[in-house]
Amino acid sequence: MSTMTTTHRAARKRLISKETRRAILMWLLFLPLGFIIIIPLLYMFSMAFTTEANQFVLPIRWIPIPPTLQNFNKIFADPLLPLGRWFFNSLLVATVGTIIILIVSSLSGYAFARLEFPGKNLLFSLLLFSLMIPAAITLIPVFLLLRTLGMLDTYNAIWWPAAASVTGIFLLRQHFYAVPRELEDAARVDGANRFRIYWQVCLPLVRGALVALSIFTFLGLWNDLFWPLIVLNKQANLTLPIGLVVLQQGSYIQRGLAFAGAFVASVPVLIFYVIFQRQIIAGITTTGMAGQ
Amino acid sequence: MGWGAARRPNPVAIHLNLESFTMATSTAAAAPQRTSATDKRRRWKALKNQLPNYLFILPHFFLFAVFLLYPIFRGLQISLYDWKIMLTDQRWLGLANYQALMNDAVFWQVLRNTFWFMILTVIMNVTLALIVAAGLKHRFTGSDFFRVLFYAPGILSVSVLGIIAIRVWEPQLGIINYYFVNVMGFPRVNWVSDPTLIIPVLAITTVWWTFGFPMLVFIAGLHSIPEQLYEAAKIDGAGVLSAFRHITIPLIMPTMLFVVVTQFIAHMQVFAQPYIITGGGPGNASRSVVQYLYETAWKYFRYGYASAISVVLALIMIVVTIVLFSLMRRRAEY
Repeated sequence: MSTMTTTHRAARKRLISKETRRAILMWLLFLPLGFIIIIPLLYMFSMAFTTEANQFVLPIRWIPIPPTLQNFNKIFADPLLPLGRWFFNSLLVATVGTIIILIVSSLSGYAFARLEFPGKNLLFSLLLFSLMIPAAITLIPVFLLLRTLGMLDTYNAIWWPAAASVTGIFLLRQHFYAVPRELEDAARVDGANRFRIYWQVCLPLVRGALVALSIFTFLGLWNDLFWPLIVLNKQANLTLPIGLVVLQQGSYIQRGLAFAGAFVASVPVLIFYVIFQRQIIAGITTTGMAGQ
Repeated sequence: MGWGAARRPNPVAIHLNLESFTMATSTAAAAPQRTSATDKRRRWKALKNQLPNYLFILPHFFLFAVFLLYPIFRGLQISLYDWKIMLTDQRWLGLANYQALMNDAVFWQVLRNTFWFMILTVIMNVTLALIVAAGLKHRFTGSDFFRVLFYAPGILSVSVLGIIAIRVWEPQLGIINYYFVNVMGFPRVNWVSDPTLIIPVLAITTVWWTFGFPMLVFIAGLHSIPEQLYEAAKIDGAGVLSAFRHITIPLIMPTMLFVVVTQFIAHMQVFAQPYIITGGGPGNASRSVVQYLYETAWKYFRYGYASAISVVLALIMIVVTIVLFSLMRRRAEY
């Protein structure tokens, strides 16, 4: 018996040291890559707090001496670069857009998973068909349509086309399938109508998928440059990503300002990411969704 | 080893699985038909009971029809006209836009640029993501930290990426040339003004930004490979590399298919990186198809011609996706 415990202990010791060795090897492998990932981010942070005059100083001063809020003051004071306004616009676009998408996708996803109606398969294959068509082809017709509808340069031009997306439906439909039918039957016996069953019984049970969908929808809308660039026009209506491009153009080229703008645009999402990292990473690995 | 075995949550794959499932249940439910009057009444009643269900899909389906389905066909139609935004009667051109496109040297150049960018980005992204995923598959002290860190750039807006990239690659004062020239003593390279280097530079920038996504997908895919296979291989005397070659690579193929197809679709439509970082230059050296489309429509207001570009791009993407599916599926089924 004593020999058993000793071999056991030896095995465990070997296991631990093997694990440690493995961890050291992995750190040696991944540390350089980690530096490559983190250095441009640190560069952005430190340059946002560096005065315009010191932007070009080499070797790079990673910790700006003295740190300055000059860039931020300038950017928030300049009426031609209403960064605060753009920030608020982005928040509005992303929040309302996410709510709209969650409502229409969950209603439809629930119906395709749980309800019966004539033509269900045909309608669903239409959704599937649209997945195979690259988005590029719809850009111009949607733009011309929004123009006819008088929606250009308003956020309606962002929200409603985004809500036509089918990815949320596929995701939620699959999660609604997993809700036990008995729960719905019990609610029906208790006299709940179909809308209440959807709202009070099924929706809370797919909370995880709703969270994942709302995170990625929000990030997608917050970060999107291409579509807002097409449909928004007036300076006061722009979202942050376009605002950052404006900061880079024409007479505005000032490195400090651009970095300060990038800082303002990315710090909220990075904080959001650090808080919700678990959900975001689990969301990607279980749904295959990503912001871009 | 087809799609059914893939743990990867490809919406299409999931759909196919569920579709066969619903089909099976509905055929099972198709009981012997009786057509008596009461039966007809019952069916009518069932139908009437089902009508409110349309209300659930109505909001989305309306938006889908207006902003997705109709525009697909409308785009095909517009590409046959000399479409001007102010006109009420558009001039019909037939296939003239497409003929002009085939003779448009700029279009061929932007198509070459886009393919070159896409191929470089996909290869680098997939290779790096798979290697890193293989290392992060097993937990070790700090593995979660690396996982979170490697995905972090993907959270940023492409505009932020652009601002950072311009300063990083700047020939005189950028940080890359600072380390490259001032610290390590290499000759100065003009990263962004050299037409042969600019596409690789944009591809590397994009890999920095996006490789975290395929990495996370690969980690999930690797977790679905049974550990016993590796143990068996070890007993048979196979080394790490040989196990990677003969177990990991073949069994990761369904995941690989998902990653390669989604990466291809994403990077073939690249727009913002060249638009912000180089403006398409030097010359047209980094202009992408979507940027050319954007400028044709929203700078030169040639909507018909731009639609033709979009249709050709869509056709190329559909054909390549089908080819990728058939090529890799065969390998996946081996």
